Amino acid sequence: MPWKLLWRNVLGHPVRSLLTVGAVAIAVFLVCVLQAVTSGLTRTLSSAAANRLLVQSAVSLFVDLPLSYQQKIAAVPGIEAICKWQWFGGRYEQDKGGFFPQFGIDPDTFAASYPEITIVEGSYADFQRERTACMVGIDTATKYGWKIGQTVPIAGTIFQRTDGRPWEFTVRAIYTSNSAAVDKISLYFPFHYLQESVEQGGAIGPDGVGVYMLRVAKGSDPLAVQQAVDGMFANGPQRVQTTTEAEFNRQFISMLGDVPTLLQLIGGAVLFAIFFAVLNTMLMAGRERTRAIGVMKALGFTDHTTGALLVAESLLLCMLGAALGIGLGLAAEAPFAAATGAFLPGFGFDEATLWLGAGIALGTGLVAGLLPGWRAARMNTIAALREVG
Amino acid sequence: MASAITIQSVTKTYTRGGESLRVLDELDLTMDGGTFYALMGPSGSGKTTLLNLVGGLDQADSGSVRIGDVDLGELSSSELAGWRAANVGFVFQGFNLLPVLTARENVELPLLLAPLSRAQRRAQAERVLELVGLKDRMDHKPRELSGGQEQRVAIARAIATDPQVLLADEPTGDLDRTTADSVLDLLQRLNRELQKTILMVTHDPQAASYSDKVIHLDKGKLGRIDDNRAASGGRK
Repeated sequence: MPWKLLWRNVLGHPVRSLLTVGAVAIAVFLVCVLQAVTSGLTRTLSSAAANRLLVQSAVSLFVDLPLSYQQKIAAVPGIEAICKWQWFGGRYEQDKGGFFPQFGIDPDTFAASYPEITIVEGSYADFQRERTACMVGIDTATKYGWKIGQTVPIAGTIFQRTDGRPWEFTVRAIYTSNSAAVDKISLYFPFHYLQESVEQGGAIGPDGVGVYMLRVAKGSDPLAVQQAVDGMFANGPQRVQTTTEAEFNRQFISMLGDVPTLLQLIGGAVLFAIFFAVLNTMLMAGRERTRAIGVMKALGFTDHTTGALLVAESLLLCMLGAALGIGLGLAAEAPFAAATGAFLPGFGFDEATLWLGAGIALGTGLVAGLLPGWRAARMNTIAALREVG
Repeated sequence: MASAITIQSVTKTYTRGGESLRVLDELDLTMDGGTFYALMGPSGSGKTTLLNLVGGLDQADSGSVRIGDVDLGELSSSELAGWRAANVGFVFQGFNLLPVLTARENVELPLLLAPLSRAQRRAQAERVLELVGLKDRMDHKPRELSGGQEQRVAIARAIATDPQVLLADEPTGDLDRTTADSVLDLLQRLNRELQKTILMVTHDPQAASYSDKVIHLDKGKLGRIDDNRAASGGRK
């Protein structure tokens, strides 16, 4: 194989080669991102704890459950702990465009129910003790440079203070997580601070709680607990739906539609388009080099070599594109993970995703090079030499 | 000793627009090794077809083409490619250098098919470029060379593998008279000094005068063979 000729052919049309490499790079980058989202979803769902159930309104996640349900649910046999989860939906005063989720929770039962969480700064006990304390994920704390003891002003959108001022939370603990089931960007504060503020007229907002998290005792059957809780409120006053954490996450994600299928369709369309772009480039290259192919054959190069030269050129362009696309993906991984962390804590480029990107480029290069390569191999030497250059 | 070229009862027919055209018709011809032949004749007389058959670029419908002991009709496509690489050099009217390669790289191209190291290939390319008087231009791309220089590079490429036979199809067709003469001088020198068998298709009688013998084809058959050496009293 005349490698120098291969390389010179690629460099002979620098703009065309650059555009092709760039197009493949963008396609590989997109496919890697889409695959990372899909595997992130899978990881998030598969990391869900089997012993955690979530109780929400049977009508919708956006309908709150009565606070009085907590005591009744807690009495169901097999439940070890119950914890409120209330979506706060506030905006950090210093970065109103930024986003991180905030939840009102029960500090007394939260930590034991989420062993994935580790406190890296401050202490959980301080968080537990103080009414206006908050515990934040390490990514959010790092992003805003928050320190232990710092007061964080959050403007409420669902829950608004009647004095018009933002809510103020004091950072008492910073956590990290070792599981895709729990993100590293949320802010948690005691639910009772929210509840008392509303009850005392210091704030306005919906009465009730969004979700109850149940920790099922070891040895108890989660399905039986699930059925018992649902059955308890089957006749009202407000029906509930109890699901496993994995199912809850799946339903939450499916609110956006069938995400995996959508992503696969987009990825497929991208690949389809890029395949024809590369094929077009290689067919043009093959046509332009008709005389050169004739000369090479006259010099004694075999049909196989002249054909393989075009296949190799296609592979080279695509693999350069793959390297660039994967490089871009790795560079963009951290910003993407930060942007999707709330909904997709499992986002990330694993080895399989990177191999998929490389494999797709390899396949595209091979298939797109085959037709021009086959044409070159079959080309009649005399006819090729007669071609007007 | 350079190999002789023997053409025996060769017929070649092309079909164009549904019509059959017999380009070579039972042609018999023997060419001595180490001789410079010019091949002349009107358009359609079969000159280029004969050149292609001798170069193993095409195969006869019937009859045989032998170069030395090798009957080209018995070789497969890949065997012919290998045979061409080792035994024939081509010089084309349009030079046909690869524009992305330098002069030296163009000359090195056929050497990739020979069992030579990179250094040996480079040395051989430089040697033949020196032979054609272009060593100082070896790092130039074809577009940076004049027509005459391009044709000299093409000749260097043709002789790089030291083939027995050099086939030239109107090698001076695109050149002015002075440049053409220098290219023809070079071909003649290769024949005299390196004993290459040269078969050159030309329409130009002045170009043909550089050869030892002129073969005249007419309607696919041998017309006559003129011996330039005899005509000039053997002083070429």
